[in-house]
Amino acid sequence: MQSAVMKPALALYTTLFLVFLYAPFAILAILSFQTGPEGGPQFPIIEWSSYWYQHLFGLAPPSRVAPLPIGESLFRSMTLAFMTMIVSTVLGVMSAQAFRSRFKGSGIVFYLIVLGMMVPGVLVGLGMALVANFFGIDRHWWSTAFVLHVVYTFPFAFLVMLAIFNRFDKSVEEASWSLGVSPARTFRKVTFPLIFPGVLSAMLFAFTLSYDEFSRTLFASGRDLTLPLAIYGTFAVEIHPNVFAFGVLTTLFSFALLGVYAILMSLSVRRARRIAIQEE
Amino acid sequence: MQSDLELIKVGKVYDNGTPAVVDFDLTVARGEFIAFLGPSGCGKTTTLRMIGGFEAISAGDIRIRGQRINDLPPERRPTSMIFQSYALFPHMTVRRNISYGLEVKRVPKVERDAKVDRMLATLGLEDIADRRVNNLSGGQRQRIALARGLVVEPEILLLDEPLGALDANLRRTIQNELKILQKTLGITFVFVTHAQSEALSLSDRVVVMNQGRIEQVSTPLALYTRPATLFVAQFIGNNIIFDGAVTMTQGTNVRVKTPLGLLTGSANENFEAGRLAKIIVPTEAVQLHQANKRDEVLVRNDGNAISAVVGRSSVVGHVQRLSVDLPTGRALSLEAHVDKYPGDQFQRGGEVLLTWPAAAATVIAA
Repeated sequence: MQSAVMKPALALYTTLFLVFLYAPFAILAILSFQTGPEGGPQFPIIEWSSYWYQHLFGLAPPSRVAPLPIGESLFRSMTLAFMTMIVSTVLGVMSAQAFRSRFKGSGIVFYLIVLGMMVPGVLVGLGMALVANFFGIDRHWWSTAFVLHVVYTFPFAFLVMLAIFNRFDKSVEEASWSLGVSPARTFRKVTFPLIFPGVLSAMLFAFTLSYDEFSRTLFASGRDLTLPLAIYGTFAVEIHPNVFAFGVLTTLFSFALLGVYAILMSLSVRRARRIAIQEE
Repeated sequence: MQSDLELIKVGKVYDNGTPAVVDFDLTVARGEFIAFLGPSGCGKTTTLRMIGGFEAISAGDIRIRGQRINDLPPERRPTSMIFQSYALFPHMTVRRNISYGLEVKRVPKVERDAKVDRMLATLGLEDIADRRVNNLSGGQRQRIALARGLVVEPEILLLDEPLGALDANLRRTIQNELKILQKTLGITFVFVTHAQSEALSLSDRVVVMNQGRIEQVSTPLALYTRPATLFVAQFIGNNIIFDGAVTMTQGTNVRVKTPLGLLTGSANENFEAGRLAKIIVPTEAVQLHQANKRDEVLVRNDGNAISAVVGRSSVVGHVQRLSVDLPTGRALSLEAHVDKYPGDQFQRGGEVLLTWPAAAATVIAA
């Protein structure tokens, strides 16, 4: 009786949710196939073309629309995101491990860590800029901005790992110790393989959050721009569908990243199985 | 006999100040099967975890084969722990789970394989050796946990409610296997349980604990026949307990004056006259007689005879369940086997005599 009403209602709700989530992206994707260089970022589509994709890679004939300055900024953002991912995940795993046993002041430390993702990015960015100025430190994407990226993404990695450890059966580790295996080795042989899916999730979080971080980076990165800053810079003049084309490519890249995540995930399961068989 | 494990005045106080274990004194002989029995929260698991090195001890000493191990971490103690949750490594096969401890100790592969194979055979796990542990039954997982713990050849195997998660039938099977395994290997087993039947059927000696303290350490039989404390008398078996004051001691027989008259039981210690005491009578030792036979039964039972009135009674198969009312107003539940008391002897409202020999009852200080 109830499900006769509830199920369609929930289905409708879910559909609407997905439409709102993906419609903007779909519009963007459609507009990226607008003809160029005269076609603008609006409907109707004058003519379907891949002009803006060619423009993105410098394959289109020169026109009044300047090419998107993404080459170096893309490299910077990727490198920064990668560095941030590694450091935040390592810190996240280590601190979550520390939080498994209650230590003195653990409550305060918890809030101090989580604060990193709570405080407004603009404020932290500005603060970092001021501090750097005061001490005469040069601002760079790989120094001041990197620190802020870690401060921002580390809490996410930490919370993910905390949730993973929360469900973790400690007696598995104790069993290993009791078999004569040191805690360090137990971590490597037992704990880490079991929390590895969580570690992958933490890495994914850290990478994507850092990759499109804007407000903190704005003030803290200095002269060399990261990708979000470089793209934002082009908005100041005029918006062309080449930004949309780039958006589509970036999203495809994100999907590829998710694909890699999924593959790694299933590999980690399969590898354990294979090792087990090889042992015979 | 050489002692394998010694706990000397071991104590544990939690960080918040609550004492978990107090003055725990125990010496375990090599190859002994010892059970820690008690209600939940009595400190039995904490004590086991202190032996295994998972909990720091606050006072006293723990020695294994004479060596003080208080400060050794778990991996450097000659103990293996079996957990109630089995705690198998889910990312490894059965064989890998078992060989894990040997691998890490860098035992050569040939020797390692031989040991693992022997362990697999001992516990009947050959057929599932290459399976992953996730999809196996509780009994299989428990056997794997045992094999994993035993293959590293510990001097003492610690078992924390290892059968708690199994269903009743399987529990009995594994109980038997456990007992046989322990006898074959000759390793000391320390077994924690809150199930009486498990402790009493498996172990050589039982340590009954309550509120962090040892109540009694003795053989399963002695727990029944000679409870040392009121707690044990109430926790183990089915005992009737009378309060009174000692009037005289004669050898091991102690006479206690109770509201029901003078009753006699046995005691291991000497009681001064006038001391408050309790006399503990196992219901199994109580005999029922017709009220008119008082004189002849009195002699045979050292004067232990109480008259009572039959209240409710119901027949359950070959057993008649009786509720009898004592002159003091107290009601006792007794069982009468039909083959011992033929016919319908106990009518509601009829008078009966309850008797028991002095040797069957125990007198303890109140």
